[in-house]
Amino acid sequence: MAFWTILRAAFGYFFLIFIVRIVGRRPGKQLTPFEFVLIFYLGGLTLTGMVGGEVSLTNAVCQILTVAMCHYGLARIRQRSDRLAEILDGTPLMLLEGNTWRALTMQRTRITDNDVMAMARDQGLKTLDEIDTATLERNGEISIIPKEQED
Amino acid sequence: MPDAPEYKPVEDSVPKVDNAVAVGENLSFQRKWWRFERAVWVFFGLIILADVAGAFGRGPVAKAQQQTDSLTLHYERIERTTTPSTMTFQFAPSAIQQGHVHLFVSQSVIKQLGAQRISPQPEQSILSDGGITYTFPATSANALVEISLEPALPGVYHMETGVPGMQPIQARVVVMP
Repeated sequence: MAFWTILRAAFGYFFLIFIVRIVGRRPGKQLTPFEFVLIFYLGGLTLTGMVGGEVSLTNAVCQILTVAMCHYGLARIRQRSDRLAEILDGTPLMLLEGNTWRALTMQRTRITDNDVMAMARDQGLKTLDEIDTATLERNGEISIIPKEQED
Repeated sequence: MPDAPEYKPVEDSVPKVDNAVAVGENLSFQRKWWRFERAVWVFFGLIILADVAGAFGRGPVAKAQQQTDSLTLHYERIERTTTPSTMTFQFAPSAIQQGHVHLFVSQSVIKQLGAQRISPQPEQSILSDGGITYTFPATSANALVEISLEPALPGVYHMETGVPGMQPIQARVVVMP
């Protein structure tokens, strides 16, 4: 029944959003082969349940439109509600501040000091001492602000 | 003349203190979220355990059996949409009359539970009130008939089966999405 395929598509979208949010924030530049496996596998498994036995082009088009509308609706609500934005994306989190690691944040976000150092090297920094702050952004990237050069 | 663009003054929602980086970190929210995350992981674990046990079908908990003097029915009380399963009817010697057994199955088995095929092929299928009565040649006790099911839609369905003229079996089958 067409209604169920639409419902499956919407459910698959919201369920994946929830799972990705729970699994953690490590997309973007921190995407390692470890995360690649997760993303492709989750996508593939969701697809199986969403499409079911209905492999027609009509079904594909309607499900894509459903997902697009869900995404648009969620983005609009997120734009208007700071609370929802916080729930969907989380808040930026300090990982390193003034030569001190935020140990609990690192543990809970499953980010290691090597991940931070990799981003620091990306910005041309050689040691952790050169970092003023490291922040895990809402999009999963780690932004590094170097210490100001002393004259 | 083109319309003028709309402007809005820049307002930084994150207070700037001591020229520090305006991060906008909300640790109190984040701590609540981490607590929620831990609860969700436990919930996920319970879901997987329930699934392995068959609480959502295709496991030991889902399997069921009902028996009358003439018939034993093995079925799954929890089915899954578009997932094949088998319903088995085992006839007692009292069900065999003049080398034949008759089996009534309600319409819900055919339609909602999605009967795909019946094995062995019945000698005769007669449409009766609220279902179909099949006739099979049978010579030995414990004769088995199997109906392959593949429900198309989720829901809770009631079914009835039995040997006509004898005590019927009624069952409820939950079809998971």
